[in-house]
Amino acid sequence: MITPEISWLAILPEIVLALGAAGVLLVEVQWKPESNVLGTIAAGSVLFAAAFSVLQWAQAADSVEFGATGDLVVFSGLVLMDGLAIFGRFALLAVTAVGLLAGWKYIDSLGRRSAEAIALVLLASAGFSIMVAANNLVMMFLGLEVGSIALYVLAGMSRERARSDEAAIKYFLLGSFASAIFIYGVALLYAGTGEFEVLGIRQFLGSFVVFSPAVILIGLGLVVVGLGFKVSAAPFHSWAPDVYQGAPAGVVGYMAAVAKIAGFVAITRILLTGVQALDADWLPVVAGIAALSMLIGSTLALVQGDVRRMLAYSGVAHAGFILTGVVGGTTEGVLFYLAVYSLQLVGAFAVAAAVSGPDNSESSLESYRGLGRKSPFLAGSFTVLLLGMAGLPVTSGFIAKFGVFAEAWTNGFRWLVIVAVLASVIAFAFYLRIIVAMYMDESEVPAVDVPPTSRWVLIVAVGTTILWGILPGSLLSLAADALPL
Amino acid sequence: MLTWLVLLPVAGAIVVLLTPRARQELHLPLGIALSILPLGLALYVFGVFEPQAQMQMTELHTWYEPWGITWNLGIDGISMPMVVLTTILVPVALGASTKITTRTKEFVVYTLLLEAGMIGVFVSLDLFLFFVFFEAILIPMYFIIGIWGSERRIYAAMKFFIYTAFGSALMLAGIIALAVLHNEQVGSPSFALADLSGLDLSIGAERWLFAAFALAFAIKVPVFPLHTWLPDAHTEAPTAGSILLAGVMLKLGTYGLLRFNLLLFPEASVDAIWIMGILAVIGIVYGAAVAIVQPDLKKLVAYSSVSHLGFIVLGTFALTSGGLQGAVIQNVNHGLTTGALFLLVGMIYERRHTKQISEFGGLQKVMPVFAGFFLFMIFASIGLPGLNGFVGEFLVLIGSFTTLPTLAIIAASGVILAAIYLLWAYERVFTGVPDKEENETLTDLSVREVSLLAPLATLVLLLGLYPNILLDKIAPSTEAILDRIEASTDYVVPPPGRLGDVFVAGEEDE
Repeated sequence: MITPEISWLAILPEIVLALGAAGVLLVEVQWKPESNVLGTIAAGSVLFAAAFSVLQWAQAADSVEFGATGDLVVFSGLVLMDGLAIFGRFALLAVTAVGLLAGWKYIDSLGRRSAEAIALVLLASAGFSIMVAANNLVMMFLGLEVGSIALYVLAGMSRERARSDEAAIKYFLLGSFASAIFIYGVALLYAGTGEFEVLGIRQFLGSFVVFSPAVILIGLGLVVVGLGFKVSAAPFHSWAPDVYQGAPAGVVGYMAAVAKIAGFVAITRILLTGVQALDADWLPVVAGIAALSMLIGSTLALVQGDVRRMLAYSGVAHAGFILTGVVGGTTEGVLFYLAVYSLQLVGAFAVAAAVSGPDNSESSLESYRGLGRKSPFLAGSFTVLLLGMAGLPVTSGFIAKFGVFAEAWTNGFRWLVIVAVLASVIAFAFYLRIIVAMYMDESEVPAVDVPPTSRWVLIVAVGTTILWGILPGSLLSLAADALPL
Repeated sequence: MLTWLVLLPVAGAIVVLLTPRARQELHLPLGIALSILPLGLALYVFGVFEPQAQMQMTELHTWYEPWGITWNLGIDGISMPMVVLTTILVPVALGASTKITTRTKEFVVYTLLLEAGMIGVFVSLDLFLFFVFFEAILIPMYFIIGIWGSERRIYAAMKFFIYTAFGSALMLAGIIALAVLHNEQVGSPSFALADLSGLDLSIGAERWLFAAFALAFAIKVPVFPLHTWLPDAHTEAPTAGSILLAGVMLKLGTYGLLRFNLLLFPEASVDAIWIMGILAVIGIVYGAAVAIVQPDLKKLVAYSSVSHLGFIVLGTFALTSGGLQGAVIQNVNHGLTTGALFLLVGMIYERRHTKQISEFGGLQKVMPVFAGFFLFMIFASIGLPGLNGFVGEFLVLIGSFTTLPTLAIIAASGVILAAIYLLWAYERVFTGVPDKEENETLTDLSVREVSLLAPLATLVLLLGLYPNILLDKIAPSTEAILDRIEASTDYVVPPPGRLGDVFVAGEEDE
């Protein structure tokens, strides 16, 4: 038996994150320090993980340049170190950093349990980070589960609140059901192709003509359903509003963003690399899911009276827009959209957390009335983020939407683009409703206290939203280089 | 140069943003002073503008190479008058906003950003850039209506935003389609107007794309039956909002039809002459008829816009020299006169806090200067010879008579209807004896108000007496559009009739 060659660099970011999680827990047990010390450890591990990812990026670029792409398939094909994986990991790490900052006030308020929350965040990031790099579908499942289970617990961290419990239970039950569907799909894909690896499946489909690909297609369908649940695409979205509303506001933005990034990178990898050969079969289905998500998300968001539920439904719509990019057939648009949207999402929930206050109860539209006058910084940032999510020009959201629309149009899905532009108009209406409440309502509300850490999150989120709206090239060229193997 | 013209208002907005919120009395004067700078630059552009067909003062910078998007600016005889008009109306709109006392700072910031966006729309030669400006200006206007409007402002702001966004959404799909086609035919995506107008389009594709663009612009104009957002937005908007909405933003629609529909889709434009012409004439007559029965002075002016913009659309799709020149100059005329009328309505509203015609009567005696300006602008709006409205409507009617005679005859009734609704309104508001106690104590216009109206009135008179100051600069560009249509379709532009010679630029003998 040959011991597989170990390419440590490929998994160093995950190792650092996991070590960080363990370190936070051990330090807490041994020294019971201030939570700021634990936060520093977490920040350090995220920074190191990011630094190693930069090294990976350089090495991956070298290998592609010299045609040695085989070097990027490591651990006997379990893990890949391609551009897609590294870009996805960058996005995850960025969201982890701003997510920890955005949730810091909440985490700090947990007292002795703050170490648990920090460790869970790091573990979730480690899990999703390995998921975006996984070539082997079982490996992908393991990453997905490590990440998801950490998120279930995070959702229920405020266990004294019934809402939080409800959110955690719902998320857990439906989430594990979806995971089961996913792994069953993986099993069927294996049955149909004899391969667990995405690249292997591609090779199989490239070298054999499959006359009745029914098993493969059913397996693929189940995999898409499982991942569709994780990214809250319609019609698998019903858990999202309850979880977004009930889970602690401080960490919801992080939870939603990492699940979306990892889920979509996995979907992109499987569909655009693994089963590209069968795209005549899956393109219409994925296009249908995309259209349904955009329409359901936009219309249901219109009638919500609660800002967090609104953001949940807007997330469903965004899942549809990102799937439009998948239908477009290239990773560039999807990755740009993911990076842009996930930062906006964390920023938006930082605002929601500040407005909800320490008891994390109030998030109805009522509590945003008159915010424009009382807390101009908060309301102004939220406005930019909402306009960015709506996809209005001069924000990164417009560039992102334009990118996925143009790709889908090029790929021949004109009807989907028309549905998408119409859904964006519906979506304008509910983003504007929040802005109306903040600026055009005369009622008096008390000023909202913004934690300094959240202030930084908002500066980053608003800054990138405008920067990438005006100079998209800085990120778009990276996204264009982040190709899957 | 043009980049500066776009960026100056943005810089002004940033300056205002940095001033302390507490010094509220500073923001408006500062904003007016800062909006004079772009005006100066625009007048300079007007001065050095050469009467020729090509784009001038062009600038080209790559934005993001792989997508083919560029920062491509340029100006010609169609856009130049609109840029100047915009920079004239913004200081006036700000000067009319002394009654805005809440959140003045934001108000000035939004107005200046709006100005930057509007100039940007007129000078973009890249469709992507154009769309960015076209859509971005919805945001400041939305806030201006929604925050500083009257009672039903939120409803009006929302309706305005959703209507226009709906139109531009389909245009976005159209723009994507054009760029993708360019990629297929030439091998690289491009959004440049010059590149896209050279595309080889099938007639089916051309019709669809024409429809997508025309819908966006028709909502903006607004062309009947897509006009329902306009009375709401106008009535609820603050005076400055109404001035800029009527003066400039509606022109984005007529400008877009001229610049993009005629240039990019000549074949479909020729096919659409009748449809667009009929819709325009319905707008002329319907807008005027509804204006007659309006009890609200501001709504009356708003519906008169629907009617007047019908003339511009009719002139555009008449596809004759006179029609196109009339359409372009009428863009300016309508901006000046309707801007001034909204300004005047705003002034009386500030004094009496009502816009109901029935509340007034006999104001002539109490406010003679106000009445004088009002009558002057009404005459300009009706199209009294010697004032600017006459030039534009006359050119449009003569221009369309050669291609669409029936429609031109019906449209001419719009001029008479305009006289009816405007003069009748004047009679009810200004003549007779002041029978309401509140009206007897009204003060006449202040020096500030006169100084806002005087420049507009001067321009109205100037353009009425000597239209060639503009027509000479417009004509080469409109002729270029007609040449392009003739070159790519079977359509033959009819030679101007004897009457047309009177006004078509260069042939006038005074």
